[in-house]
Amino acid sequence: MKYSYIKPRTKTALTKDIQLLFTFFSVTIGMLFLTYVFLLFKEYRFEENRAEVIQEEKDLRASIKIMKAKITFIEKQNILSERVFTQNSVLKDSIHNLFDLVPGRITLSQAKILEDGLILYGITPNKDVYNFMLQAPLRSIFHRTYSSFYPIENGWYRFVSTNYIDEESKNEY
Amino acid sequence: MISKILETLYSKVFINIISAQTSSTVYVEVVSRGEVSTSLSKSFQTKTINAKMLEFVKLYTEESPFHYITILDKSDKQGFLPTCKDISKYTDEEFIKTICVEKKYSLYTKADSLKDIKYDYQSIGVDFIFSPFSILNRFFKDKINNDLAIFLLLEENHISLSIFNKSKLLYAEYLDMKENSFESDMLMDTILDEDDDMSLNLDDVNLDDIDADEGIDSLEDFSNIEDLDSGMDIEEFSEAEEVVESQVDDEPIDNINEDYKRFILIQDAISAFYHDERFDSEFVEKIYIADSINISKDLKKYLEEEMFLNVVVRKISLQEELCDMAKMELK
Repeated sequence: MKYSYIKPRTKTALTKDIQLLFTFFSVTIGMLFLTYVFLLFKEYRFEENRAEVIQEEKDLRASIKIMKAKITFIEKQNILSERVFTQNSVLKDSIHNLFDLVPGRITLSQAKILEDGLILYGITPNKDVYNFMLQAPLRSIFHRTYSSFYPIENGWYRFVSTNYIDEESKNEY
Repeated sequence: MISKILETLYSKVFINIISAQTSSTVYVEVVSRGEVSTSLSKSFQTKTINAKMLEFVKLYTEESPFHYITILDKSDKQGFLPTCKDISKYTDEEFIKTICVEKKYSLYTKADSLKDIKYDYQSIGVDFIFSPFSILNRFFKDKINNDLAIFLLLEENHISLSIFNKSKLLYAEYLDMKENSFESDMLMDTILDEDDDMSLNLDDVNLDDIDADEGIDSLEDFSNIEDLDSGMDIEEFSEAEEVVESQVDDEPIDNINEDYKRFILIQDAISAFYHDERFDSEFVEKIYIADSINISKDLKKYLEEEMFLNVVVRKISLQEELCDMAKMELK
């Protein structure tokens, strides 16, 4: 239905005021959106860092645990080594004492040091030398002492001395 | 999309300007959400636009970006034709702007006058320029479709005349009272002299004769009074009240005179219709008048008594009709 000789001018609701208003609002919204995006990114980074830190903490805790275990092990080792050292020095002293015990007239051919005992093989000129000069100190150290003699060609004796310390007294020792 | 949403939020402002010889009437209607929220009318002492009118119009145009300024075309060379194609048969096509209506009629006006309107109102801009024939057709739509009759739109200085036979346009003419005022007086005399006139019988001539004398007398009286008034204005300014009174007294005489001029113009136009071979001639007995200026009963009397026409006068608010046209055009 066109009755007018001319066409109406195009009307737009977007007047200069509205355009200005829209520009202002769009800039504001844009800035808010950018801030929001920035904060989201920051939050994401923070969460990522947090996760990393948590993982690191877990790893550290795990490594601390391992280290503690290692420390415990090393301490145990240390104690053990100290014990071994002590035992060794005790053994060394014992052996030293043992050799000190053996008089010059008796010759040892073999000595077996056991956990709870000592077996000595050797040659003695006669049974008395052995009994007085070696068996006597051995008896004072060990609880049970057994001796056996085998005569050899030159009239001397080959002997085997087996000495034991009982369990209880060993612990005490 | 945003524009559409905003359009519903804004109210529509229709500014309708009807210019007359010395004044312009601006009718403003603000439509908000389909309902008329404000409507007012104001007259300004200018033929086109002056500072006060500009200020008044700007006041409303700034209210909404959806404002539409409508002008009623007053071009002397405008009309209404019963075809969309053979316009050259009726008028010179070269300097006119035509629009085809309902695929069977053409409205035309002088292209220069559209330019003039745009130029005159460039400070406020123009959205619609309507032909008075569009308003007349819309106003008498129910009668046009069913009757064989003459349809008139009376404005202050113009008459739009169209003749329809059951929605078929037979004839239309735009009559300018100022342009034809002198001619019509002259014509009247010639009609009186010519015995072989086709449109009028002897009785009509006699009646015309009497009325014409009256008209001329009244014109003479009027001019005398004007002279006296102007004389009084110059000599005695203190008696302004008397001048006003005498002007009030003049109005009926003026109206009679104007109505007589109108009658003569209508009579001439109808006579032209009967004589012009380009138009299908039909004998018309009825005349419907859309009256926007409160004519006196004399015009009706002339038409009834001298042309034996069955006259129906209907009041029309030109500015509201113009506003309705603009609303219709927007749909």
